[in-house]
Amino acid sequence: MDSTKPLIKIDEETSDFIAEILEKGAQIFPKEELERILTCIQCGTCYGSCPSGRITAYHVRVIMRKAQLGLKEEVLKDENLWNCTTCYTCQERCPREVETTDTIRLIRNMAFEAGYVKKPHLIVSRNFIETGHSIPLRDEDKEKRKRVGVSEIPPTTLTYPEALKEVQTLVEATGFKEKVLKLLEEG
Amino acid sequence: MEKPRVGVFICECGGNISDVVDVKKVVKTASEWENVLVARHYTYMCSKPGVELIKQSIKKRELNRIVIACCTPKMHRKMFERNVGEEGINPAFLEIVNVREQCSWVHHGDNEGATQKAIDLIRGAVKKVENAVPLHPGKMPVKPAVLVIGGGIAGITAALRVAEAGIKVYLVEKEPTIGGHMAKYAKVFPTLDCAQCILTPKMGDVAENPNIELFTLAEVKAVEGVPGDFKVKIKLKPRGVDVEKCVGCGACNRVCPVETVSDFDEGLGKRKAIYIPFPQAVPSAYVIDFDSCTKCGKCAEKCPRKAINLEDTEKEIEINVGAIIVATGFKLFDLSDYGEYKYGMHPNVITALQMERLMNVAGPTSGAIVRPSDGGEVKKIGYILCAGSRDTNKGKPYCSRVCCLYATKQALMMREFMEGLDIWIHYIDLRAAGRRYEEFYKNAQIEGVKYVRGKVSEIIPDGDQLIVRAEDTMLGRPIENKYDLVVLCPPIVPSPDITKLAEILKIPLDEDGFVLEKHPKLDPVATKREGIFACGVITGPKDIQTSVSEAEGAAAKAINFLIQKEKIIEPNKAYLAVPEKCDACGECIEVCPTEAISIASEKVEINEILCNGCGACIPACPKEALDLKGLSEKQLMAEIEGILTGSESEIKILAFVENEIAYTALDLTGVARLSYPSSIRVIPVPSTSRLKLKHILYAFAKGADGIMFLEAPEHEGPFGKAHAIAEERIENYKFDIEDYDVDSIRLWFSKVYVPDWRKLVKVFETFDRMIKDEGPIEQEVRENILKQLSQETDT
Ligand SMILES: Cc1cc2nc3c(=O)[nH]c(=O)nc-3n(C[C@H](O)[C@H](O)[C@H](O)COP(=O)(O)OP(=O)(O)OC[C@H]3O[C@@H](n4cnc5c(N)ncnc54)[C@H](O)[C@@H]3O)c2cc1C
Ligand code: SF4
Ligand code: SF4
Ligand code: SF4
Ligand code: SF4
Repeated sequence: MDSTKPLIKIDEETSDFIAEILEKGAQIFPKEELERILTCIQCGTCYGSCPSGRITAYHVRVIMRKAQLGLKEEVLKDENLWNCTTCYTCQERCPREVETTDTIRLIRNMAFEAGYVKKPHLIVSRNFIETGHSIPLRDEDKEKRKRVGVSEIPPTTLTYPEALKEVQTLVEATGFKEKVLKLLEEG
Repeated sequence: MEKPRVGVFICECGGNISDVVDVKKVVKTASEWENVLVARHYTYMCSKPGVELIKQSIKKRELNRIVIACCTPKMHRKMFERNVGEEGINPAFLEIVNVREQCSWVHHGDNEGATQKAIDLIRGAVKKVENAVPLHPGKMPVKPAVLVIGGGIAGITAALRVAEAGIKVYLVEKEPTIGGHMAKYAKVFPTLDCAQCILTPKMGDVAENPNIELFTLAEVKAVEGVPGDFKVKIKLKPRGVDVEKCVGCGACNRVCPVETVSDFDEGLGKRKAIYIPFPQAVPSAYVIDFDSCTKCGKCAEKCPRKAINLEDTEKEIEINVGAIIVATGFKLFDLSDYGEYKYGMHPNVITALQMERLMNVAGPTSGAIVRPSDGGEVKKIGYILCAGSRDTNKGKPYCSRVCCLYATKQALMMREFMEGLDIWIHYIDLRAAGRRYEEFYKNAQIEGVKYVRGKVSEIIPDGDQLIVRAEDTMLGRPIENKYDLVVLCPPIVPSPDITKLAEILKIPLDEDGFVLEKHPKLDPVATKREGIFACGVITGPKDIQTSVSEAEGAAAKAINFLIQKEKIIEPNKAYLAVPEKCDACGECIEVCPTEAISIASEKVEINEILCNGCGACIPACPKEALDLKGLSEKQLMAEIEGILTGSESEIKILAFVENEIAYTALDLTGVARLSYPSSIRVIPVPSTSRLKLKHILYAFAKGADGIMFLEAPEHEGPFGKAHAIAEERIENYKFDIEDYDVDSIRLWFSKVYVPDWRKLVKVFETFDRMIKDEGPIEQEVRENILKQLSQETDT
């Protein structure tokens, strides 16, 4: 769908996106909590609270509305989805108790599966697949660690290769690794 | 009449008055006046010893007129009236002079001016009371019966409540059954109670209550008489079926060959010419629709009870009641002018009331939601809220208050029994203000009803379907949605023919045609006319709960009104003082706001129950044949003269002040201890429409330099159009006084609302300055006016 075209034709161009979100979240969140997105009254508390919304084009209220209307493609393609800091401020404050942040996270998963993900997130994912850390340990970090009197290498996958193995088994079993590498390759 | 023996009593109010007004000087001055036998001051006149002082003086000096200068009469007049009454003083022989709120409290720092003003006002009161005649309130028996017009849920509730109090009720309903709109619904928000289950027992109670007499197919034709004793003519349309005999077997209905559109089903279904609107109808009897009946006689032949009379005729009856309750409810606004909604152009665009019938198991489709166009399946429904409400362009300016909720109700109910039915509600603002209403809305959201913010702009037919164009204002983008059925929620407007009924009842309607409340906040179920009350949607859109609460209120009001058995008739009324002068020209009839004046044997007759004593008719009479009890011509002239003659003030301004709203505002200026010039001297009048040109000229002749008129606004004041007439008259007097060499700027008219009290200071200061700049009126001019006035009275 051409996302610049303003007209929305209900049903012809929309689908029951909320049902999909509920299904996606079914294993993690109780249905009666997640389905509160149906009761969103577009009051704007979430967007008004959002630290990312103040400096980027990420608009959480609009995403909730688009989800209600069933504009699935538009939501998944929205690059701004990745600007949520997952600070949970909006979710804390929503008067209808909509699980905004959790919903955004579920939508991100769906976007990732559909292949809509930002390059920096892919790079971070590759780091994680390779080292078990999303942010690599740089020399200056080691220096700092030494200065404050802890071991230069942290007691994580970097110290315990068997732990790294576990991580790698997981990312392979879930198909995460394959997907990330494929997406990186495609650019 | 016995010679006046006046007592003047001035209260110090513990310094509140005496710190500014020199009460000793007042007493000394007053005691020198003719007819004043006693003049005393005291710390608190309203205290027991103060009252005792007055009573003792009456006894010792055989006083027959009392003037008390103290706080506003709104404070203690009743109490003083009672006490002097115990000494045999008629209320008309008591005058209260307001020297606190309208003197000492507003002229602090101007003790001399305040003292002079107090003396002048008291002198005016003494002159007025000297010219008073005793007045006695009348009594009128009240007819212990109530007429309730309209048998919807509001009328039913009111009727039952009044009947429970043991008072006779006549319930008049224009349809063949009571029940009103509620009888058409399956369930009601927000409880989703079964409407029939809660309504029909009440309808049954109406039928069974021995105190209630029910008239259906009935219409109020005329109302005569006065509050407490109304004579009402009721027209009864022929029913064709004897209610007493009919047992509701329906044999007639089965043989009737005529089919016509069912109005009860909002035109969606068919019915026979002999029919019963719905099985639980009250009265429980069939009815013939004579507009479509061909008088074939088949039904009459079949009726086992011989209940049918095809030659039934219209009848008229007359009843006598003390009070009336109006509960005629509403209808929906006709949307034919909204081409964009295609109502009446496409069969699948229906109103919410039609939807109530369509989804009702007792309705034309037995509850099956089908497309009216082809009977096809309905998968998707769109609701259009505010289809004419909140629209000053083609619709109604107000919110109809229940549409958001009933649309939600209908959607919820349908989703309950039709799985997968997709319902979209298009709204401007979702208004769910009411107990449990927001929760009701939220529940509908959870149940999957979809809401779109943005008023529908257009409906485009697409075969049997309809494309709805609107904006989703949350996204700021246009949307299009295709429905099998579109439900319009039109404005709720007053019941048909309310204009005619209001004329018969002599009650005003508001700008939207709803019955105007006596006070929208504090007296919401009383109309502007005594003895007539209103409840339910006829006073404005509302839900059932509020309609019922109002009905309870209206019933209580009516009961209260009737329980007095005898109505006190205040004596301050207009009367034909010089009958031989009246030639029945009818000028007075034109101005009377209560239609109290009529012509009988070539003279006017003023109904003392209807007359509210505004005084508007008195200047209207070109023959000077009318007068007002309590503020007669003589009293008014004497008061004017008393205030002005002998006053030592340099500039004198008289202010005629309407006694309720404007006077209260003026008191509030005093309570706030604001300050204005002491040149202003107030004469309270029921309405400034009481004043003739003669009074004004006389005041100028006797020493006034400027005259003010402070009048209540038409809609807030107690006397309706009399307040408007006042303004008109004063504007004319401005021209008239120029003929007597008095500049028109010496008259000032202001409309005063109670909250205006702060502004009054500015008004007084401005006028005082204007008059000071003009200077006093020359003596020659005054003498000339006096000469002309006496010439006029001679001829
Ligand atoms: C589609 C729709 C659904 C609604 N659903 C709900 C709901 O679920 N819950 C809720 O709380 N409210 C609901 N309402 C509002 C509800 O209908 C009103 O609050 C209620 O009907 C008001 O009752 P009433 O007696 O004032 O008026 P009405 O019900 O209109 O009754 C007035 C009666 O007076 C009669 N009458 C009219 N003129 C005359 C005359 N000149 N002489 C004699 N009789 C006369 C009429 O025939 C009628 O019987 C709904 C409204 C609509 C339009
Ligand atoms: S705060 Fe909650 S209800 Fe308000 S717009 Fe955001 S999600 Fe919707
Ligand atoms: S046939 Fe007679 S008794 Fe039976 S319903 Fe008709 S009118 Fe009533
Ligand atoms: S109740 Fe709702 S739909 Fe009806 S006029 Fe008010 S806002 Fe509009
Ligand atoms: S105009 Fe006023 S005073 Fe005169 S009859 Fe009518 S109500 Fe009474």
